[in-house]
Amino acid sequence: MWIVTLCLLPGAGWGVYLYGTRAALVLAAAILSAVVFEAAAARLASRVTLRDGSAVLCGLLIGMSLSPAVPLFIPVVASAFAMFVVKWSFGGLGGNWMNPALAGRVFVAFSWPGAMTTWPAPRTLDLVDGLAGATPLSLVKATAPERAQAPIAVLRDAGYPVSAFDTEVTSWLNVNVLGRAGVNLPTGYVDLFVGNVAGSIGEASALLLLAGTIFLFARRIITWHVPAAFFVTFAVCTRVFGGLTAGLGLFEGDVLFSVLTGGFVLASFYMATDPVTSPLTGGGMLIYGSVAGIIAFVLRAYGQFPESVALAIILVNAVVPLIDRLCRPRRFGHREVRHGS
Amino acid sequence: MRRLTFPRGGIVPPDRKHQTGRALLWNAAIPRTSIVPLLQHSGEPAIACVSRMDRVREGMLVGRAASSRSANVHAPIPGVVREIRPVVLPGGISCDAVVIDMDGEFDLLGKRAEVRDWQSCDRRTLSRLIAEHGVVDMDGSRLPMPLSYGRMDHRRCDTLILNGCESEPYLSGDHRTMVEQVSSVLTGLEIVSRVTRPSRIVIAVESNKPDAISALRTAVRSSGLESHVVRLRVRYPQGDERQLVKAVTGREIPSGGVAADVGCMTLGVTTARAVYEAVVLGIPLIERVVTVAGRAIAEEANVKVRIGTPVGDLIEECGGFRKTPMKVVMGGPMTGHTVTDLRTPITKGTRAVLALTAGEIRGARTLPCIQCGRCVTSCPMGLDPTRLYKLIEHGDLRRAASEGLQDCTECGACGYICPSRIPLVRQLRQAKIRHGDGGSGE
Amino acid sequence: MVRDLTRGIFRENVIFVTLIGLCPALAVTTHVINAIGLGAGVLIVLVASNVSVSLLGRIVAPRIQYPVFLGVSALFVTIVDLTMQAHLPGLSERLGIFVPLIAVNCAVLARADVFARQVVPARALLDGLGFGVGFLLSLTLIALIREVLGSGTVTLVAFGDFDGVFAVPRMSDNPARVMVLAPGALLTVGYLVALFSRFRQGPVGHAAGAEDQA
Repeated sequence: MWIVTLCLLPGAGWGVYLYGTRAALVLAAAILSAVVFEAAAARLASRVTLRDGSAVLCGLLIGMSLSPAVPLFIPVVASAFAMFVVKWSFGGLGGNWMNPALAGRVFVAFSWPGAMTTWPAPRTLDLVDGLAGATPLSLVKATAPERAQAPIAVLRDAGYPVSAFDTEVTSWLNVNVLGRAGVNLPTGYVDLFVGNVAGSIGEASALLLLAGTIFLFARRIITWHVPAAFFVTFAVCTRVFGGLTAGLGLFEGDVLFSVLTGGFVLASFYMATDPVTSPLTGGGMLIYGSVAGIIAFVLRAYGQFPESVALAIILVNAVVPLIDRLCRPRRFGHREVRHGS
Repeated sequence: MRRLTFPRGGIVPPDRKHQTGRALLWNAAIPRTSIVPLLQHSGEPAIACVSRMDRVREGMLVGRAASSRSANVHAPIPGVVREIRPVVLPGGISCDAVVIDMDGEFDLLGKRAEVRDWQSCDRRTLSRLIAEHGVVDMDGSRLPMPLSYGRMDHRRCDTLILNGCESEPYLSGDHRTMVEQVSSVLTGLEIVSRVTRPSRIVIAVESNKPDAISALRTAVRSSGLESHVVRLRVRYPQGDERQLVKAVTGREIPSGGVAADVGCMTLGVTTARAVYEAVVLGIPLIERVVTVAGRAIAEEANVKVRIGTPVGDLIEECGGFRKTPMKVVMGGPMTGHTVTDLRTPITKGTRAVLALTAGEIRGARTLPCIQCGRCVTSCPMGLDPTRLYKLIEHGDLRRAASEGLQDCTECGACGYICPSRIPLVRQLRQAKIRHGDGGSGE
Repeated sequence: MVRDLTRGIFRENVIFVTLIGLCPALAVTTHVINAIGLGAGVLIVLVASNVSVSLLGRIVAPRIQYPVFLGVSALFVTIVDLTMQAHLPGLSERLGIFVPLIAVNCAVLARADVFARQVVPARALLDGLGFGVGFLLSLTLIALIREVLGSGTVTLVAFGDFDGVFAVPRMSDNPARVMVLAPGALLTVGYLVALFSRFRQGPVGHAAGAEDQA
């Protein structure tokens, strides 16, 4: 758990850089309250559990998935819900069947939808009036259907700025790499990738989050199954059907845009892979990831709430015991696979 | 070439064999006092046929097999029977033991043994000789030797496998035996094959023992024994009978069954050598090779030790403790049992004595299970160790049994891989015993 | 006799112990007044049907008992429903279908079946009273928790200029909206059930120590 926390730090640090002390405050409130609540709950259960690091990790994940503008009681309530209701009601670490951080985040998202969807502009972006308060995803969702445009084009038309860095890198890529393959990348994606974008504290920089996962994979803390299945199904669904909601045809969805926004990287690599709430076996993890990917797509395309990925994961969390039951390994020396008992 | 191995589960722990795997075998000193348990095999204890103050000669019978499910026990040293007292062996087996104080002359040690012309013996004679000399399966099941192939009688044994895997970390006794005494091992194998009459003989060795493989190949070629040597991928628990048979033949021993059910028989290297000594040289099973290792041991080594030697004497002989050991284990690090009494004797089935430091044993602090599923992935038997553990904790042994508790081979892969350091194997092992005792009547 | 009265309030509470009649408990408890309204309705129906069933119990042939019980409770439900519509139109509208649904409320039928038909009318009356009050109090408790946390208010009867809504200081600015949504109902009921079992049976864990019972 400590290692996962460590791997998240670059992403969190970037969030603090983008949004200043306010973001640091939100993170601190989430982590501190998570630790305090964990200690309190563990005391009630006469156990000592702070050393395993799960409380700090949970608090950090909650903080990173919030907007830096939320009032400080929101991270505290989210932590309380995560710790008391989701985690300790079921016996503490290992007993919970739903990811506490995600559940806490969803609880506050449904409770205070207004505060949860107010997004301040990061310091690196010069947002014109009328755009402050929107993430690229919410902007596209709000305007796309009438325009029949690709998401990136919607952003451009709405006046969403593109940094000089993005322009430079994109043109370099187009000339040196993609151009040779006959592809031309529009500007805007690089900003999304490195995290030059409005959003929650921790979801901004896909680059830093992915960098953290290298360590997770190397230490075998997570395996490839969940993120891969999640990504593939989500990407395929987006590619095939994603264009429909924007007034485009089949096979015209924008995969790159979809996976770089809405906290997809944070959720699929750090939250969906939580060992407690994901299946035991590799096969089970593939099913789990795939189902989560499909639900995440459906919720994002047709749902009302922006946190589709989080909702998808906790929905699938609930059926993990069933998946485990389906994917029990065949016992050595027995002819047939035995389901159930 | 794709190396053979078993299909699912398994782990590749650091093997820690470099030190002992290279050093030559040597003979330990004869112990002053030898404690000879009458139950060194699985089955019924032997019946003592000596009494207090009796004078025994080296290699003399001191415990007679009580039935076909029992094995003879011989005096490892000449001397006087001081007493016959109960002992508790690692793993909680309790039985009587004959305690012999050394005295008098050695009949076997240092003498040139008479070589029996075993080629002219018939099957039955060979089998009787093996049984008489108290040979048991010294590498796994500890079944009396006639039993482990006796089950072949009505079934055709088509494959005899010499088990040279030794996949458990630290252990290298089989490795050194194969390198240094390859002809004895092959002769033992040949004798067993004469008894069981398989249609083919496979010698299975993991690829981390290239010197043993080449020694075996050369010896096989020159001896004319019809067999072939296969290299297996390094993977634990390949030395386990079920996994080995699966790896070599692709056949799966049914749950609750034995290798004979699929027409196979496995023979350990140490056992093969004991068969050779029993049949050809007429020496009963009174000594065996033991790996003495662990960071707390001053001089790690493979030693030939008389049965009944107290563990403490053996450790003394290897230079004593270099550091304070965290625990002393008899048997391999995965499957062995911790001993607290250094007077515990070496038995026929003791493959190793390990004195492990705190650094070698991963932290003892148990954390809650986080459902990571690594134990499920590592279990070669396709069980769900964490689920079994929880069922047992809740007292639901019957349910645990229906989910395969008794299929557990106690290989220890799950406990090794567990990031929360949950003592899975200990729990399953105890539950198996409890269920085996009281559960049959349910 | 006293036990007949008290049993339904705590020890065999319909909602928290026997877990029946949960649909209205989950559905209407967004406001305290709804809970009181429905609770009162159930109380009246339960008392009336218990007494009638007790009187009818010996006359009616067992084969047609259930249809008769249903008919009896439907009769009283209709009375309650029409009375509510006439005199408390606002409340009646808020409760909607859940008032007519009292007719098939498990609590009413369960008491008729397991208790009222076997005892004298006086005991049936006390029993109905006890269980009705238990139901009413449970619903009010759930609604109180949900409304305070989820809306930051306590809604009671409106009269005159007063709209019947008390705002809870500080809570009403930023209420946890989710508590008045469906998940909030399940969470509240779940924790109250847990709390009830805790008081009825003492802490778990001490009892679960018997390990070798398998």
